[in-house]
Amino acid sequence: MWLLVAGAPLLAHHSAAAEYDQDRTVTVQGIVTKIEWTNPHIFIYLDAKDENGQVVTWSLEGASPIALFRDGVHKDSLKIGDAITVVAFPARTVAHLGDMKTIMRADGTKLMDRSGKQ
Amino acid sequence: MRRAAAIALCSLALLTAHLSAQWPAGPAAGVAKKPANVATDRAPVPRTADGKPDLSGVWEPEKNRPCPPEGCTDLHTGEQFFDIGWGVKGGLPFTPWAADLVKVRKAEGNKIDPGTHCLPTGIVRSHTFPLLKKIVQVPGLVLILNERNSLYRQILADGRPPVPRDTELPSIMGFSTGRWDGDTLVVESTGFTDDLWLDQRGSPLTSSGKLTERFRRVSFGKLQIDVTVDDPKAYTAPWTTTLNQFLVPDTELLDYVCLENEKDLQNIR
Repeated sequence: MWLLVAGAPLLAHHSAAAEYDQDRTVTVQGIVTKIEWTNPHIFIYLDAKDENGQVVTWSLEGASPIALFRDGVHKDSLKIGDAITVVAFPARTVAHLGDMKTIMRADGTKLMDRSGKQ
Repeated sequence: MRRAAAIALCSLALLTAHLSAQWPAGPAAGVAKKPANVATDRAPVPRTADGKPDLSGVWEPEKNRPCPPEGCTDLHTGEQFFDIGWGVKGGLPFTPWAADLVKVRKAEGNKIDPGTHCLPTGIVRSHTFPLLKKIVQVPGLVLILNERNSLYRQILADGRPPVPRDTELPSIMGFSTGRWDGDTLVVESTGFTDDLWLDQRGSPLTSSGKLTERFRRVSFGKLQIDVTVDDPKAYTAPWTTTLNQFLVPDTELLDYVCLENEKDLQNIR
């Protein structure tokens, strides 16, 4: 309904590069099944089909609730059952885990975008 | 057009609801307001009833580390967050012991960083961590309340002598005493634990260390903190760096409790 733009920092408790490969991204399209709006970082769980058509659950990490709040992204900005597309940096050692770069709704509006964010 | 207006109104209503869902808006008690129509860097430094500069307010660290054109892939921060020796001429004068320790810490990286383990990160990193802190200044006492882990720090400015370096019960945040030197609050801190990190690369501070901070509010919106590290176990000579802070008006601290739902440590290589 409205465009929300936010950075998705992880540094407040550790370096993102230590956990996620920031040289490549994955695009995950699916349905939100669970939301943890908690410190130190939020997690959104997404049921998405893999390359074999099997449903897998992705764990997608974001910024801290206070960083998101100050950037205009709120606890009720996403709801269980929402269809979203996430572009994320994949974890280096764990499958189906990513650090969210952008979140896009089914209608194309971006809920979160840290491309070009200073 | 009508739809666009409706969306705008809806967004405004939601935004208003969200803002009021946290601290209600209003003037912060004990924090000077900037005079209207005066630039932040030109407004006079506020003073307390006894004529001392008033450091009270919510502050954030300087973020002088450039982001690439495509944007930062992580939180925007300052150079000294990563390397507290940034800007120190000739770099930090590590003792051989400290130089070896920094190599080990660099090799292990985030896995052994106290910050990754959600521990308090000490005085120096509290000046570079990109979260907010609130300074409360009353006669004889300055409190620094950190958002990160709801961590407090007290600076006793009531004439007490500094605590010995090797104290019985060492502290991550140390023991801080302060005195005014003109318009500068001079704070000495000692009594540290032995395994502190001053930055993300692991520059050490040990139980033999003493920190001297010189707090100077150079303008309404800028607080300059010159930090001198004197730690003969880790450094061959004392060194000084400047950690600038900038006022964040009309806001309050929020919750950042690192251990609430920490899930990253197990996945960090």
